[in-house]
Amino acid sequence: MADGNVSFSGRARQAWTIATVELRRVFLARRGLWVYGLALLPAVIFFGHGVETKLRSESLARSGLTVPALLDSVREGEALADVKQRLGQPAEERWSVRSRHVRRPTGNAGATTHAIEPAVEARFVRLNLTRPSYSGEPVARIYEFEVYGPDGPGNLALGRPVAGSIPCHQDRGPEKAVNGSVAGGEADSWCSNDWPLFLQVDLGAPRAVERFVLKHASAGGESGESDTREFTIQVSTDGKAFTTVESSTGAGFVEERTEYRQLVYFDGRRDARLQFVDGTLEDRVMRRVLNFEEDRAIFAGIFQYFYLRLAIFFGCLGMFMYLFRGEMANRTLHYWLLAPARREVLLAGKFAAGLVASVAIFGGGALLAFAAMIWPHDAVEVQAYWDAGGMTHAFWYGTAAALGCVGYGSVFLAVGLYVRNPIIPAAVLLAWESAQGILPHALQKISILHYLQSLCPVPAPMEADAPALIQLLAAPAAPASRPGAILGLLLLTAFVLWIAGRAVRRMQISYGAEP
Amino acid sequence: MTGPAVVFEGVSKFYGEVLGVNRVTLSIPPGITSLVGPNGSGKTTLMNLMTGLIHPDRGHILVREIPPRDPEALMRITGYATQYDTAPRWATGFTFITTGLLLFGFRRAEAEEKAWKALERVGLTGAATRKVAAYSKGMRQRVRLAQAIAHDPDVLVLDEPLNGLDPLVRAETIDLFRSWAAAGKHVILSSHVLQEVDLISDQVVLIANGTIVAEGKIRDVRDEIDEHPSQFLVRCRDASALAARLFGEEHITEIRLTDDRMGLLLMTRDPERFARALGRIALDGYGIEAVVPADENVDAVYGYLIGGQ
Repeated sequence: MADGNVSFSGRARQAWTIATVELRRVFLARRGLWVYGLALLPAVIFFGHGVETKLRSESLARSGLTVPALLDSVREGEALADVKQRLGQPAEERWSVRSRHVRRPTGNAGATTHAIEPAVEARFVRLNLTRPSYSGEPVARIYEFEVYGPDGPGNLALGRPVAGSIPCHQDRGPEKAVNGSVAGGEADSWCSNDWPLFLQVDLGAPRAVERFVLKHASAGGESGESDTREFTIQVSTDGKAFTTVESSTGAGFVEERTEYRQLVYFDGRRDARLQFVDGTLEDRVMRRVLNFEEDRAIFAGIFQYFYLRLAIFFGCLGMFMYLFRGEMANRTLHYWLLAPARREVLLAGKFAAGLVASVAIFGGGALLAFAAMIWPHDAVEVQAYWDAGGMTHAFWYGTAAALGCVGYGSVFLAVGLYVRNPIIPAAVLLAWESAQGILPHALQKISILHYLQSLCPVPAPMEADAPALIQLLAAPAAPASRPGAILGLLLLTAFVLWIAGRAVRRMQISYGAEP
Repeated sequence: MTGPAVVFEGVSKFYGEVLGVNRVTLSIPPGITSLVGPNGSGKTTLMNLMTGLIHPDRGHILVREIPPRDPEALMRITGYATQYDTAPRWATGFTFITTGLLLFGFRRAEAEEKAWKALERVGLTGAATRKVAAYSKGMRQRVRLAQAIAHDPDVLVLDEPLNGLDPLVRAETIDLFRSWAAAGKHVILSSHVLQEVDLISDQVVLIANGTIVAEGKIRDVRDEIDEHPSQFLVRCRDASALAARLFGEEHITEIRLTDDRMGLLLMTRDPERFARALGRIALDGYGIEAVVPADENVDAVYGYLIGGQ
């Protein structure tokens, strides 16, 4: 025994002894409980989705099923009453009324007329603008201010002397509001932002006045939002004492009501959502409550984008990085180094422990999620899928997860032997793995994800309108054949383990300060 | 020495810039050997080197002709109780030692029997099924000793094995070492108190600052230290005159002038007589400013090791 010759099987037994001790640590590490969370997340999501859809079908079916042919017969443009009469009471009915505060059009091309009953005597006529626009802009714009008496159609204000708040532009003085024209564009109007905003016309002598006409911004071709919203008109015989004869809130607002109504009919498999707007069918969406094909595509997406890229990656980081690093921190590593075993045997034992644990956790998690995805679906559909190779799909998902643990596990085992802090190498590796889709073909071969994606039975779904960069990063690289992928991954792992072996041979105990 | 010795040949080990041990050449025959030196002198470094926990930067080590780079062969004949006071959280004293023995290829029943025997030898059978983490410091010390002896190694390496043991257990432990040495095996232990190991050791290796200061039978080491002259640095105004005067003292073996001619480097066989003589001479002038021991190694170490008595 003391000659130090140990057979291969003896070394394998040593490695297994180490692995059994380590297994306890890896499986039950309190700091590693989050790994279970990561592994089980997809199963929880699919299980929750299954429960939700099952409950939904049951609640829809409770109000009675609709004949499928009737569901298909509904056409857009049909009236609400007709549909209800033909299809009967819906499984669900929801409605809402949207009311909007909309401005009544100023009318008559931006002009408003204000009659004074009875007629009043006035020499001075004054227009005060208290809210000069609908948009809230504090600028008055008046294209024409016309004053009429009972004596005839002549505009008493036309060409009369006029005063007003300081114009916003020298071309747009108050005289433009009594020049009898609106056709000359903005330069044909009075405009001012000098508060208080007013226009005052001197009719020359007291006259009987019974009607005013105001031509607002939209009369001159500007936006209706710039029309005057609130104003008063005052008259005076002496230019000192004014009497208010008109208060206007402009064109005013009205409520515009729209009724939206959604009817849901259910034929046992599909639900039809009928959207009515003001009693007319605008939109009809039919979808399967339980869509096996869609669920399988979602599973493929979650498996590739979340499970392989993130869950297994970070799970292996947590489990394998600390196989050596954790014992260094706990100052227990020397017990292993003082055992009559080669350092490589120690490496193998620890790797085996990490592997058994991670494959059980993540392989199990993947299969559990797959089962949870299938569970709510119709037995016939599931049987058909099973006959068409569903079992193989499950096998390859499980294999991809397990080989993911092999690949990432070896990498993080090696990383843990070389560096103390996992954050930087993890970030670099994650970037490298994420960018593998855009790497040259030769470089893809040293990415673990490349091989794992090649093993996935179904390509992950990708929205055609996803941003180009995301498409590029997430796009599966040119896949390798399955045997090629497995071989490539194992070769890559062997190389990484060889590097780890070099490190573990050189490893020395340094627990910090010597006691 | 040929045969089953533990041999260091020009071994140096650096921790970064810091020196661990420097050019250690040593041959340790079977029997009880104590590595003695102050804390931080390099005792643990030597032990870690000979068990392969760390690797030398220079030089070679052979433990009974096995290089420490080959743990598979080395650890079969070596047991090392470290000073690292840690134990795996999961283990009881018994499973801890049994698991270690399984790695030797023993069948479980055989391993359990040996584990039990080892625990018996250190008097821990009562606590065998309790978690090591719940042991007292002395019990953890003993369980590490049990682990080191469980596979009956030819070379037993023990870092401060008597630290923290009560007198009764200490006596039992020393008996254990003696029985091991009597069987022609190596027992290499470390201590920072010379007295503690004085009586039980067949040979002693004195270490200070990573260098071997003295080695051999305990008597020889004493004499070697006594004969070793002490070195002092004297700073004064008139160095040449002082040198001439000191040459007359018979305990002075060597005097050198420093390069700035403002100091003397001198060796004396008897520091006390030198101190008295210098006190006399200083009264006659020479402008003596300072006297400092220039080579503290041996004296200081020895003074420390004999516990200041």
